[in-house]
Amino acid sequence: MQNQKRRAAIIVNGILFLIVLAWSIPTIGLLVSSIRFRNDIRTSGWWTTLPNQAWVATGNQLPIPDGQTRDQPITVTNSAGVATTASYDEWLDGVDMGDGSRLVWVGNLRRGQLEEYRQQWTMNTNFTLQNYEQVISGRQYQIQNIDGTTETVQGDDMLGAFLNSLTVTIPATIIPILIAAFAAYGFAWMSFPGRKILFILVVALLVVPLQIALVPILRDYGQIGLNGTFLGVWLAHAGFGLPLATYLLYNYISGLPREILESAFIDGASHFTIFIRLILPLSVPALASFAIFQFLWVWNDYLVALIFLGFNQQNEVLTIRIADMVGSRGQDWHLLTSAAFVSMIVPLIVFFGLQRYFVRGLMAGSVKG
Amino acid sequence: MSKFFKVSLLMAVLLVALGAGAASAQGGCPAEWTLMSAELEAACAGELSGTVVTMTGPFTDQDEVKFNDAIAPFEEWTGIDIQYTGSKEFEAAIRAAVEGGAVTDIVDFPQPGLLRDFVEGGYVLDVSTFLNAEHLSGNYIQSWLDMATIGGPDGDIMAGVWNRINGKSLVWYPIAAWEEAGYEIPTTWDELIALNEQIVADGSSPWCVGIESGAATGWAATDWMEEIMLRTTSLENYDNWTIPADAESRLLFSSPEVTNAATVLGDMWFADNVVFGGRETIASTFFGDAPLPMFEEPAGCYMHKQGNFITSFFPEGTQPGVDYGVFYLPPIDEELGRPFLVAGDIYAMFADRPEVRAVIDFFSRGESVRAWLGAGGALSPHRDAPLDWYGVELERNIAALIADATSVRFDGSDLMPGAVGAGSFWKGMTDWISGTVDLETALAEIDAAWPTD
Repeated sequence: MQNQKRRAAIIVNGILFLIVLAWSIPTIGLLVSSIRFRNDIRTSGWWTTLPNQAWVATGNQLPIPDGQTRDQPITVTNSAGVATTASYDEWLDGVDMGDGSRLVWVGNLRRGQLEEYRQQWTMNTNFTLQNYEQVISGRQYQIQNIDGTTETVQGDDMLGAFLNSLTVTIPATIIPILIAAFAAYGFAWMSFPGRKILFILVVALLVVPLQIALVPILRDYGQIGLNGTFLGVWLAHAGFGLPLATYLLYNYISGLPREILESAFIDGASHFTIFIRLILPLSVPALASFAIFQFLWVWNDYLVALIFLGFNQQNEVLTIRIADMVGSRGQDWHLLTSAAFVSMIVPLIVFFGLQRYFVRGLMAGSVKG
Repeated sequence: MSKFFKVSLLMAVLLVALGAGAASAQGGCPAEWTLMSAELEAACAGELSGTVVTMTGPFTDQDEVKFNDAIAPFEEWTGIDIQYTGSKEFEAAIRAAVEGGAVTDIVDFPQPGLLRDFVEGGYVLDVSTFLNAEHLSGNYIQSWLDMATIGGPDGDIMAGVWNRINGKSLVWYPIAAWEEAGYEIPTTWDELIALNEQIVADGSSPWCVGIESGAATGWAATDWMEEIMLRTTSLENYDNWTIPADAESRLLFSSPEVTNAATVLGDMWFADNVVFGGRETIASTFFGDAPLPMFEEPAGCYMHKQGNFITSFFPEGTQPGVDYGVFYLPPIDEELGRPFLVAGDIYAMFADRPEVRAVIDFFSRGESVRAWLGAGGALSPHRDAPLDWYGVELERNIAALIADATSVRFDGSDLMPGAVGAGSFWKGMTDWISGTVDLETALAEIDAAWPTD
């Protein structure tokens, strides 16, 4: 019995470990790529930085046989005296000589040589912090002036965008939580006519995609001068986040024990006092878990920021800055690797800071009682 | 007329010129500028100092730095502040911005097809109402003016001014590898085919081709199609293929002309060993990585056709004129001359204020790209931008090639309706090249997506 339990535990843990490993491999790959050189990223996979068995050139070279044509088989004898016959196209890919070595035809039929390779353990350890430097402090461009002199221009750095992202994200997290908590309390514990209908409306809003609201809101913002302002984007994020927030918090708050609230009522507390002194402290897990959701969503948001802040360089947020970094034609996409890690720092801090609430909060609203 | 009189007249002219020079030095604008709009004159006199013009477009990163560098002198001369914001997702953002009324004063469109939508919606202002017609026809070749003229709700308008262009009919080659192998630059199509055969016989692949580009996979192949169309059939047919005046005059993709162009392309690409990696790798190779085998030692391929922007994808440290050179993709039918395929940026106006008009007038002059030409990475469509402004010799040669061309045509897929030019044309070419469907089916599929109204 004891043995059986242990075996089950081992199997479960083993499977969990494999799942975690599978899920983290892309992130590990990204991390490794972010410290590799541009050309390395473009020409070989990140896994070549791990010890692997590969064909490595020994430095031995043979001259190519003269007078061969593409469609005739070609016989080559290597330095150890082993002769092999293969077609030209096979030689280009490399042919195993049978003595552990491999010959590769480098060049074409008229010039070049045959290079000998042997299998060896190897790893690519060519690392750099250049990508991080370029991402964090801005790239340097050599610009040639009209008079022929060159000057170095420092590109935009990430700091401004980083601060903008914080400026957008923090209020855009707090505003919907506050409003949603009030609303959830109202739906859960106050009786007023039309409560059910209103609540159904809020739930119905959950399925409305935000994309259809972009142009109408933009038009209204234009009339009251909110386009390109932080206030505009806070309100937009608050609006898009509210249905889920209200629904989530309603389920949690309506599940709080009725006795606590009733005794507070009997003691003469007003709705406001109950909300501030009882509801808020009791629903910290739900608030925190929603805060993580909303923070991550706003921090990683590209579309809403693009539409409502898009044409105002001073207010550019991190996601937009990172997308711009790859250049007009996407020629610098290798910078995305390090930029992704830099932008990940803040969400990771928030997640680990609030995660003890998160686990509790995941069950928010799932069990009533 | 006595000699004395002539000399004194010359003196007088010189004095006036000097005076004008002094006056313009005070206002700041270059003395060579003539035929200015009233607004640009006011700007040059400093009357619009302190105003702000907002602008957006697809330049980001390095291009944005160079653009800002190029407009800096004008800002200094006039005191107008041009605030540029580049956006990677320009196409998506601009649609919402225009419909939401939140668009900037000036917008840079890399695709005239997209601009056409807004012109038809009546959002774009006609620049010919204030720009001097003589200046426009003097400073642009007629092809550019024609391409800027788009039908709006109230008839044809000039929807913007061309500012920066890209040459497309260019073949890049690794100089050292060519010298070692003893290859000569082909000047006719027959020479090109002979060179292909020579390189294949030598045991290498002549071409590097890659058309993968995420959601836009296939566009590089549409460029090839357009090149061959220009070289095998008349300009009239090309225009009817890309921007037909009406449904009757439209040249279908399934027409003999287009089918023939595709056949020429297929015969070349699908022959054994012509494309590095073989036919099956074309659709899966990123267009930016495609030229890399040219720079390997020894070269994996010997030619790559792409617009002049491709140099930013070449390995770091490679030098134009030393590591790589460029030549004009040779004509096929000599009677059609030397057509040149181009793409470019047209600047359209969405707000009518004096300072916006002045800035648009500035963009219609070569001076507005001068620093960019010097820094490299741009070509100018303006006649008043002399070749010696180009800082990179290779780009100067490309500019000269374009100037030599007998005709200039815009990238056809950028002109076609979005459903075709940025949709079925890309997809149809990709499907055909990857071997998913045969040519006939692919062309019929492209035709089917053409909007009927």
